[in-house]
Amino acid sequence: MTPSASPSGSLYFAIQRRRNRGLGGLYLVVAAFLVVYGVLFPGLLSVGGFSKFSQNWFPLALVTMAQALLMLNGGISLAIGPLVSLGGVVAAITMGGPAGAFGGLLAVVVAGLVIGALTGLIVAYMRLPAIIVTLAGSFIITGVALLLLPRPGGSIPDWLSQALAGQQPTAFALLVLVLCAWKLFLATPLGIGVYAVGDNPVGAFRSGVPVERVRVVSFAVSGLLAALAGLFVAAQTGSGDPVIGTSFTLNSIAGAVLGGVGFLGGKGTMRGAIAGSLLLSVMINVMFFLGFPPVAQYVAQGVIIVGAVAIPEFAGRWRKA
Amino acid sequence: MDGTTPLVEARGISKGFFGNPVLKAVDIALHPGRIHALLGENGAGKSTLINLLSGALQPDGGDIRVDGKPVTRLTPQGARAAGVAVVQQELSLAAELSIAENIGLGAAPRRFGLLDYRALRDRAAAASALVGLTEPLEMPVGDLPLGRRQMVEIAKALFREPRVLILDEPTSSLSAHEAGVLSGLVRTLAARGVAVLYISHRLNEVQALCDYVTVLKDGVVTADRSLADVSAEGLVRLMVGRDPGDMFPAFKPAAAGEHLIRVDGFSAGAVYDVAFSARAGEIVGIGGLIGQGQEDFLLGLYGAIPAVASSAAICGVGHLLAGVGAATAAGLAYVPADRKKEGLVLPHTIAANLMLPSLGRLMRHGLRDRRGEAALVADLARQLAIRGDTGRPVQALSGGNQQKVALAKWLPLGPRVLLLNDPTRGVDVGTKREIYLMLRAFADAGKLILLLSSDTPELVHLCDRVAVFREGRVVATLAHGNASEEAIVGAAMGLATKELAA
Repeated sequence: MTPSASPSGSLYFAIQRRRNRGLGGLYLVVAAFLVVYGVLFPGLLSVGGFSKFSQNWFPLALVTMAQALLMLNGGISLAIGPLVSLGGVVAAITMGGPAGAFGGLLAVVVAGLVIGALTGLIVAYMRLPAIIVTLAGSFIITGVALLLLPRPGGSIPDWLSQALAGQQPTAFALLVLVLCAWKLFLATPLGIGVYAVGDNPVGAFRSGVPVERVRVVSFAVSGLLAALAGLFVAAQTGSGDPVIGTSFTLNSIAGAVLGGVGFLGGKGTMRGAIAGSLLLSVMINVMFFLGFPPVAQYVAQGVIIVGAVAIPEFAGRWRKA
Repeated sequence: MDGTTPLVEARGISKGFFGNPVLKAVDIALHPGRIHALLGENGAGKSTLINLLSGALQPDGGDIRVDGKPVTRLTPQGARAAGVAVVQQELSLAAELSIAENIGLGAAPRRFGLLDYRALRDRAAAASALVGLTEPLEMPVGDLPLGRRQMVEIAKALFREPRVLILDEPTSSLSAHEAGVLSGLVRTLAARGVAVLYISHRLNEVQALCDYVTVLKDGVVTADRSLADVSAEGLVRLMVGRDPGDMFPAFKPAAAGEHLIRVDGFSAGAVYDVAFSARAGEIVGIGGLIGQGQEDFLLGLYGAIPAVASSAAICGVGHLLAGVGAATAAGLAYVPADRKKEGLVLPHTIAANLMLPSLGRLMRHGLRDRRGEAALVADLARQLAIRGDTGRPVQALSGGNQQKVALAKWLPLGPRVLLLNDPTRGVDVGTKREIYLMLRAFADAGKLILLLSSDTPELVHLCDRVAVFREGRVVATLAHGNASEEAIVGAAMGLATKELAA
């Protein structure tokens, strides 16, 4: 009807292209780090090297998605790390038993979904702040993980460890699969609702978006992703560890923030968050190869994260002035 | 018209909050093809009535009928199903989503559980075309200026193909051109049989557009009649029970005071190379279409955004003011348009808001002086006719009274120049009048007032001169008497001959 409004081309792909705007800088930085890493570690280009690299990145990518999903719809979770630990613990104690690998997988999926949905129900219907609810949740989940497995133990079937964390890029393939699933989710009315609810909950409600349901589903999906990350980490080590996931809570926030996801909801993109997690992962690897002592690594990581938030902000102000 | 069954009708509905009745036995009937104006001061119950008609609230008494049949409990879903669409004052858009996704939000066509982007494109394009939205549909709403977002909001309502369209102050952030498009659209919809309920504080707009009017005053219907033979004065009288002849205080030409502002080659934000001067005792209007640099002009003078000038003298300072602190010290005060975000601390008390700029001055021995503060607050409340307990949170006040607080808090600093950014936007007629009287009194007391306004009659009747902005420049300066509504709007649209005066 209007010639100017996307006359023929696909609206869907036009929107997708548009979402890359403002991420060009981030993509460049990620590419630059990848090049540096490739130069330092030429093995990256071999199948084995690429597999190892993507295995390092994969759990971080999953938890960053889990966190970004919540931040996009106006929440946040401090229970990501404990959920990762719990996912690993559940996998390690069930997969060796009569349930088998598939029973164990099911148990991890159910644990992630149920815990996430419960958190979401509390946040959405009791209208409590997500940061407090998930802080409380992080203690409870850690407690449960320690109860199930007081010290590292249990086992993951060797074939599964080999399949997930061996010499093939299974992790990368899985990540592609997860991203496709996310694209599908985002194309549902509920997925679009994630952005609307995060940015303008009252407006979303008035538009007929089921605000509470969107919140609960977001938390459930986020819980699922974190628990699956836990399963993967357990497969990497071959056993469960009730506190192995701790660092993932803050790293998931760092990845999302590096990727341009805002703290106030509705701002940012999942592709940005994924790129952010990749940047974080490569950064850590590069610093390791350059022989940075751990203290310097942490400091550099912090500086880079602040920079990642500050640079677009200042660039925006500078453009305005 | 009276032979038709109303699409939606309220009969004798009442609603109260916390024991305060807001609506008392109100009747309103929305007929197909009729443009129905709903008028009333802020707090008269307009928003509550809209919320009842759209199912967002449930009435305490009376009933709501859809197509003549009583509905026991109208829910938002039920109202939507009945074809009621509301364009609220507060936008319901998500900045990161595209125009198309926003338009379809909550009602988008689906295939196999997924959004059907192809159907969405076609239907969203049709809705956009109706409101004259020419931006590409994939553009994120966050990239649009406020007025365009309002058009997206309206397109979003049209997307649902409503039978009843409720527009709550739709033009408050629109430019004259966009408002014109909207008027045409409303007429087209009415001709197709849509029932339109139109809420606006702009009486000329209502008179030009609407067929029928319901006036609310303190929760009671004071008029429910055809608009055919009512004048603007008559409408105001129905709302406030007061003669509108004294809507604006008598105009008094300013005595030539000293120059308080004189800038040359002034640029800030969207403003380029403006020469401007103003004297004590003047009220200078700043007009033009929305977003032509008027706000940047005030902010630049106030030192709130970076500005440059080839020469400048502001309140005796021989250069531009470096920042808000310097501006306040020099005797400038700025009252922002968005009082909720920039002007006030909403959850704090009226008293706390009133003394915020004065806290530093009222200190004794480095501590707060409670007695001095109380006296100050009482004095301001009296001067500005802010009624009731000043211990209430300021968000409990109506929009008009909030505006008074946002203005009043600067007075103890004794500013010589008041920079007012649209002080009467969304303010009811009664409070508008109080604000006009206040401004007149300030000018008589020798203050200089720069009045940025989107309400043209205000510029015509209140100001000594009106500087009309267009694309960042002053395209006309019209003296009182020459500054008719036609002249101002004409200059703003770039049509007028330059009637330079003063």
